[in-house]
Amino acid sequence: MGAGARETPQRGVAVELQGLRRSYDGFDVLRGVDLSVRAGELLAIVGQSGTGKSVLLRQIIGLERPDAGRIVIGGLELPRYLAIPPEEKPFRIAMVFQSAALLASLTVAENVGLRLRERRRHSAAEIEAITRRVLADVELEGTEDKLPSELSGGMRKRVAIARALAIDPELILYDEPTADLDPILTQQIGELIRRIRTTRGSTQIIVTHNLPLARAIADRIAVLDRGRIVECSTPAELAESRQPLTREFLRAAALGL
Amino acid sequence: MAVEAVGRVPRRPGPVGRLGAGILDLLQVLGEAASLFAAAVRASAFAPIDRQRVVVQMVRVGTDTLSIGALLSIFVGMVLVVQAADQLRDVNESVLGPIVGLAMTKELGPVMMAFLLAGRAGSAMAAELGSMTVYDEINALRTMDIDPVRFLVMPRFVAATLALPLLILYSDFIGVWGGAVVVAIDPAIKLTVNEYFARMLEWVHLSDILIGLVKGLVFGMIASILPCTFGLRTRGGTEGIATATTAAVVWSFILILVFDFLIVRGSFAAG
Repeated sequence: MGAGARETPQRGVAVELQGLRRSYDGFDVLRGVDLSVRAGELLAIVGQSGTGKSVLLRQIIGLERPDAGRIVIGGLELPRYLAIPPEEKPFRIAMVFQSAALLASLTVAENVGLRLRERRRHSAAEIEAITRRVLADVELEGTEDKLPSELSGGMRKRVAIARALAIDPELILYDEPTADLDPILTQQIGELIRRIRTTRGSTQIIVTHNLPLARAIADRIAVLDRGRIVECSTPAELAESRQPLTREFLRAAALGL
Repeated sequence: MAVEAVGRVPRRPGPVGRLGAGILDLLQVLGEAASLFAAAVRASAFAPIDRQRVVVQMVRVGTDTLSIGALLSIFVGMVLVVQAADQLRDVNESVLGPIVGLAMTKELGPVMMAFLLAGRAGSAMAAELGSMTVYDEINALRTMDIDPVRFLVMPRFVAATLALPLLILYSDFIGVWGGAVVVAIDPAIKLTVNEYFARMLEWVHLSDILIGLVKGLVFGMIASILPCTFGLRTRGGTEGIATATTAAVVWSFILILVFDFLIVRGSFAAG
């Protein structure tokens, strides 16, 4: 793994966050987040538990509205983007949840092809072909008829990624994609995300507290501390950081924690 | 800093405060349920209905309720005859048929089946949607531009609303036959089964059955919308799912009885 030059035509979208604020019951979780993500970039956001990483992703995809600040994706303000009917959206955003969030009553193939089926713009044969292709991309051929309960944690995460890929998104958000996975599965998921970066060129934002993973796959790493981005740099620059939280993370990573 | 923090700790509310909070919470649930009802009706009216998903839900409702519904109905019909026969032994046993027929079609069939639907299928709906909420499956649908109301609530709403009137007819039929069994085998009852049914048919009119079916439509809506509301507002992991499920069943029972009173009162007022 490791950041390499982009090999595919760029088809991701840029993301711009300006002064993003969000509080719950008077407690400020996001305290003015400013962040720019370039089109096609793979950006990791690291930070301690409870610093608002997942909250940040929920704002970006529109599951929650910020109290203040702007989110601009692909040149469109988020509220404007969300108001566009699904069929007319100029680009697509997908999210991979920490729990994978597969629908338990649907098979793997039904989960992966869900959005395509609901949009009713593809024939059944097309949906089946897309499903097979993205399942092959995540190396899960032959699992089409299995239920999520029959899969391991790592397989469920990969199905969730396949479900995201099925809509061919320009922006993919990952919430702790390797949480609860062993180091080998973590590496596999990391390689998969890196491969998506090189083969598809989608912009990807990964929230994680796994700094070694972030350093191995990301173009840049943003450090979130108490609701603010305190540093955003390349993995090489991060290694030389004098930022206290970053130093703590690096020390913990060096100890293999 | 410490003093500030202590100053900000809210005082534990007293009995009046807790009552007020409970009332506000109830009003919020009812408001959310009304809003979800409107959204489900809109989705049923304007979006293409996914028949397959509705059928799946109807089958679920059926498998959850048919066998227990039959047991409940037959024994309630039998108990009605035993109780009424004891009271009427020295008066007029010929009204046994009308008593069972009217009680089953107008009141017991609808309420009993609605409780059964809320207790079995409704609790399953609340638990399933609660689990989907807690484990981000609902949010996953939203990020895929799939409306959870159209995808999850509407099929359950349509299935329960259509299934309950059918279940009520089923319960009425089994209940009156349960009464007939007791009439046939209880030596203390002098009435014949033919007389039991003949008198029942004289007294039970189509309008009585229709009132039961109207109740079925209304109760079916309640027994699906309230569990879905509680399921979608679930917070706090496994414990939250259990709490939401219990609350869904309890409030469904209460609202069914409230609407039962309103429908009965309305039907009498309308003559």
